[in-house]
Amino acid sequence: MRPPVLELIDVDKVYGFGRPNAVRAVEDLSLTVNEGEIVALLGSSGCGKTSTLRMVAGFEGVTKGKIKIAGREIQHLPPAKRGVAMAFEGYSLYPPLTVRENIAFALKSQRISPDEAARRVAEIAELMEISDVLERYPASISGGQQQRASLARALVRDADLHLLDEPMGQLEPQLRALLRGRIKHFIHERRLTAILVTHDQTEANALADRIAVMEEGILQQYDTPAKLKDRPANLFTGTFIGEPPMNVFPARVSSSERETVFDLGSGVSLKYPAAIFPPDLRSRLSQESDVCLGIRPHAVRLVDGGLPVTVSVVQWLGDQTHIAAQFASRTLVSVIHDRARFAPGNTASIAISAEDLHIFDADTGVAIGHGKVAA
Amino acid sequence: MITISPIERILRGIAITLVILFFMFPIFWIFLMSFQTNETILRVPPSIVFEPTMSNYSALITGKLETNAGLLEFEFMRNLWNSFFLSVSSVAVGLLLGVPAAYAFARLKFRGSEDIAFTLLSFRFAPPLLVLLPLTIYFQQIGLANTYVGLIWVYQLIVLPLILWIVRGYFEDIPADVEHAYRIAGHSWAATFRKIALPLAGPGIAAAGLLAFIFAWNNFIFALVLASADKQPVTVGALAFVTASGIQYGQIAAAIVLSITPTLLLALYAQRYLVEGLSLGAVKG
Amino acid sequence: MNGIVLENLSKSYKSETVLDGVSLTVPEGRMLVLFGPSGAGKTVLLRCIAGAVDPDAGKVVLGGVDVTGFEPEDRGVGMAFQNFALFPHMTAEENIASPLKARRSTKTIVRQGVDAVARLLKIDHVLSHPPKALSNGQKQRTSLARALVAQPHYLLLDDPLRNVDAKLRYEMRLELPRLLADQGATVIYVTQDYKEAMAFGDQIAVLDGGRIVQAGTPEDIYLRPATIGISELFGDPTINLLDVVPERDERGIYITLSDQRIPLGDGYDAAVGKPCTLGLRPEALAFTDLETGIPVVIEAETPFNEKTVTLALTKRGREVLVSRPAGMPGPAEGESAFVSVNWRALLLFDRQNGQRIVPEGESGRTEAAA
Repeated sequence: MRPPVLELIDVDKVYGFGRPNAVRAVEDLSLTVNEGEIVALLGSSGCGKTSTLRMVAGFEGVTKGKIKIAGREIQHLPPAKRGVAMAFEGYSLYPPLTVRENIAFALKSQRISPDEAARRVAEIAELMEISDVLERYPASISGGQQQRASLARALVRDADLHLLDEPMGQLEPQLRALLRGRIKHFIHERRLTAILVTHDQTEANALADRIAVMEEGILQQYDTPAKLKDRPANLFTGTFIGEPPMNVFPARVSSSERETVFDLGSGVSLKYPAAIFPPDLRSRLSQESDVCLGIRPHAVRLVDGGLPVTVSVVQWLGDQTHIAAQFASRTLVSVIHDRARFAPGNTASIAISAEDLHIFDADTGVAIGHGKVAA
Repeated sequence: MITISPIERILRGIAITLVILFFMFPIFWIFLMSFQTNETILRVPPSIVFEPTMSNYSALITGKLETNAGLLEFEFMRNLWNSFFLSVSSVAVGLLLGVPAAYAFARLKFRGSEDIAFTLLSFRFAPPLLVLLPLTIYFQQIGLANTYVGLIWVYQLIVLPLILWIVRGYFEDIPADVEHAYRIAGHSWAATFRKIALPLAGPGIAAAGLLAFIFAWNNFIFALVLASADKQPVTVGALAFVTASGIQYGQIAAAIVLSITPTLLLALYAQRYLVEGLSLGAVKG
Repeated sequence: MNGIVLENLSKSYKSETVLDGVSLTVPEGRMLVLFGPSGAGKTVLLRCIAGAVDPDAGKVVLGGVDVTGFEPEDRGVGMAFQNFALFPHMTAEENIASPLKARRSTKTIVRQGVDAVARLLKIDHVLSHPPKALSNGQKQRTSLARALVAQPHYLLLDDPLRNVDAKLRYEMRLELPRLLADQGATVIYVTQDYKEAMAFGDQIAVLDGGRIVQAGTPEDIYLRPATIGISELFGDPTINLLDVVPERDERGIYITLSDQRIPLGDGYDAAVGKPCTLGLRPEALAFTDLETGIPVVIEAETPFNEKTVTLALTKRGREVLVSRPAGMPGPAEGESAFVSVNWRALLLFDRQNGQRIVPEGESGRTEAAA
């Protein structure tokens, strides 16, 4: 069996190692990226994602641990010998070269025939919608065009691994959705392997096959977008992933033979037949008294005869409506995919299915169960 | 793990020592010279073993020196005071004129503002002698030659462009929106200058002032031409030790030690402000 | 007239025209959302109103008073900035208090005013901190508090949620419209996030290239965009744009798409024979089992959080984006599928000038299609 394209094994990154003001940017990170996979490193600024990318690219030393590309340890090698291609957040296009020369430059070292190189440049330029600015210089094109040129330069290369740092942050909003689809298709079709660093979860969700969610230098969860949404490992990923953010309610849980009850306070409780939950989750719940309940806004259904809520805000966004309502003395957000019939001040009634509940430990935030399965 | 091997540590130490020796040696040697007599200084080969004497310093302070050629009188302490007075006054005048001007150049983009600012800077490029000859004649005619006022005025050629350009940069680094916000909050532009621009550019103004002070202190040529003995600063005053009967190396060394001490102390003290001033960028965002 | 009135504001820097004759009216006590892509001139327009930038031509009228030549401090506006523009050498409290102090209010009034607005914005616990010790969310609230504290009649908010993290931005998106309405001020709110514009606005003005290109309710702009450009700015994923030429036969006006005859319905007589651009929002497309749909091949699936967006390729090589609610099953990458279209939600634009072709007797119909 072929080794994975990239392996990070117990990697630490400490800035100012040994000094009193040392900062631990990445802690004990282990991560595997397989061939043909698009992986996103997702997190807010300072979470360690950029340090990780720079360690893989070779711009930053590794304090502890190993990095392997195609089974070969590379943490001691200079960037040029690692077989990686990179698109930088600041574009880093060579100013004295035209866009075409910038893109073709990456191919020069690869001993490709001029015809083949020209064909490849034309192809990637069309994909990135920069065919019309190929003969221009970087300084004379817009930021969005520069970013697309920088992406083109990285993707046109043959490399074991493509590293993309905030690749779409400056893209024109009109092109974003289309280019996401095209780039994903391009990478998958050629079985390229790519890692992208981003703080934008929409971008990570749209492009990546797997997402590594990082916070304070620690890998919180590494999973497919669907799993991250349906089975967040802890309250952090639960509330970090998802837009609008997950509704969170502290609850007191009590279980009897027949019923499992989540008391949300203010006289509001969610009751479910105990049999809905599998035995292992039930026994977990019987040991807990305080939990945090997470409910995705899309899982809050507006039904007749459910629990009453008071609508406070209704916002229509074109293809969906966001409704905020007072529920158990907190704000509950619900999203529906058509226009709402409510106005602020109205009473609505909602239902939340047991399979849409995310149950977290109130103290540690670690997931206990997701709907009908124990975590 | 990133570790430093013992060899690397030793090599680093040697390298740093060499650099320090290279830069500090002249100062160190002059410091030693200032405690020696002319005889020991001119000994061949030189030696760092000698009997220290305070005679150089006492001569400087009393202003009287016994030489083979007889009694030499000079006014070193007066020179030191002149240096101090001229530098402080020039910087004060420079700041008073330069800071508001720098603010105007930074914030008001009026017609020709760039040209005027550049012209002011270009005073720094001109060879001083070029300016000096006509200036001397003018000064003599209008009675400004050999006056403090005249000297302070001429010193502005050194001080003002420096202050203007450094402080302007600091003002430009203050986000315009911060000042807009203060004005929209209901304050006049004068209040905005006092309460927002000045405090935020404070470290920069201090740095520029200190730098200007050092430049003014070290000036030689203007004072040489435009001032006679009683208005001369130390840089010119030290020439008195080059006499017809020989050069008084010991006194020159002592004079140098005494005259660089204030600037050296200032520079050490200013370091803090310079660093603080340079990190003003943190205001942004 | 009361409120904020702008007449023909123009501003150029060197050869670049930033504002090109902008006229706007915001009635007393109402909020206008000023939406535009980056570089549209939004920031300069707000600064013209606040007095931080002098327009080359045009008038700014606040509450019936022409304030065009007035100094910023004499206009009685409050403003919050995208980059917060907090005074770095003052505490949060001193920042918030500065508009009150400028009015020479007594210490008690300053104290009470600051406390009230700090409690409203939930920053009373950080009042003694300098800005650099505040999180971005707290900075944003401090800058908002400073704009609100003196209860100005005119409030200018320059993309205040731009530099705040996604979670807080969402919370503020829910609570801010109410909070601003409670202030009773006349508000101009600038944003380049179309969702924020739609969520906030009774009234949205779209600024592009220094001109107001459309003004109206969120419905007007989303369902009846005046130009192709506007239709592209509202909606994520972006609207699908396809080149078509409407034709007429004995059964009526129609367009041909992937060899299928699509009737346009009545009212499009003016479009017949003209090169047009068909606008179809991704949510107006859906995958179907019916072979009457348009055959496509799936290029890539890019899940959003609340919806799944698919890039599909028609036989003719046209790319279309199809959006469906998350959780709804759909075809996988590389598979063939059929797409059905909600034709009632179509938009037709004149390809030459980019203007929408308004069908005769429109209003009721597009509304129902939403």
